[in-house]
Amino acid sequence: MNRSFDPERDLSIERFIRAPRAAVWNAWTNPRQFEQWWVPEPARCRAVRFEAIPGGPLVTEISEDGAAFAPHMDACFLIVEPQRRLIFTDALLGGFRPAPSSFITAEITLDEAEGGTQYTAHVMHSDRATRDKHAELGFHDGWGTVIGQLAKFVEAPTS
Amino acid sequence: MHAGTEQLDGIFQALADPTRRAILTRLGGGPTAVGELAKPFDMALPSFMKHIAALEQSGLIRTAKSGRVRTCTLEPSTFALVDGWLNAQRRIWTGRTDRLEAFVTKDSK
Repeated sequence: MNRSFDPERDLSIERFIRAPRAAVWNAWTNPRQFEQWWVPEPARCRAVRFEAIPGGPLVTEISEDGAAFAPHMDACFLIVEPQRRLIFTDALLGGFRPAPSSFITAEITLDEAEGGTQYTAHVMHSDRATRDKHAELGFHDGWGTVIGQLAKFVEAPTS
Repeated sequence: MHAGTEQLDGIFQALADPTRRAILTRLGGGPTAVGELAKPFDMALPSFMKHIAALEQSGLIRTAKSGRVRTCTLEPSTFALVDGWLNAQRRIWTGRTDRLEAFVTKDSK
C-alpha cells in the first residue's frame, strides 16, 4: 500500500518487544487480553463487542473507578492478516456501517525479529476540529510551516 | 494537556499574522534581540513593537530587558498547547505500547 505519513496528523510508534509474535497478536485480538492493557490503571477497560475479522466490531468501554463504565471507542476492523497486520478505524462501526464522526485509523504491524517481535503502530487522525478552526481563521500554508518548524524546536530537549 | 478556548483563540490570533509568524520562525533559532529581529522587516520600530507585544501577550514568546537590549525567547509550553492534541495522542499510544509490552513479556520473566 502506498501511504504517506503526515507529520501534523499521524504518529508512528515502533518498538522491539521481547515476546513471540503470536503472543503480541493474541494480546491485540483476544478481547480478554486486550482489556488488560488498552487503558492505563487505575482505569479499567471492557471490550463489549470485539471480533478481530474484517468488519468485526471493536467496541470498548472505560471506567475510571471500576464501577460505572462509559463508552470509549466504537470502531471496526478493516484488515486482519493473522499474526501479521491489522487495521481498524472509528470512521466505521462494526459491520462496516458508517460512523457519525471519526477520529482515527490505526494500522498495527508485527514482524518476526531475532528474539522477539518488531511492533509498529501507525495512527492517522482526522483532526477535524483543529482543521475547521484553521479554516475559520483563514489560515493557509504559512500555518503548517511555522508549526512544523516550531514543533521541532519544542520537541528538542530544553533546559 | 488542556488549554482554555480563550487562550487558544489568543494564540491563533497571534499566529494569524505573517509578520508574527516570521518572527516566531526566526526565534526558533534561539533568543534574539528586538533590534536584530526587526531588521528584515520594512516597518517602523513602534509598529514592530506592537507585533512583539501581541506575541508576548499570547504567551508564545517572553521578553527580557538587559540594559538597553530587549531579548525575545520562544515559550515552548505555549506551543505545547497548540501542539498538544497530537502529542497527547502520542503519549496515549506510547503508554499503550508500554502496557502491551509489559503484558506479553510478563510470563517470560
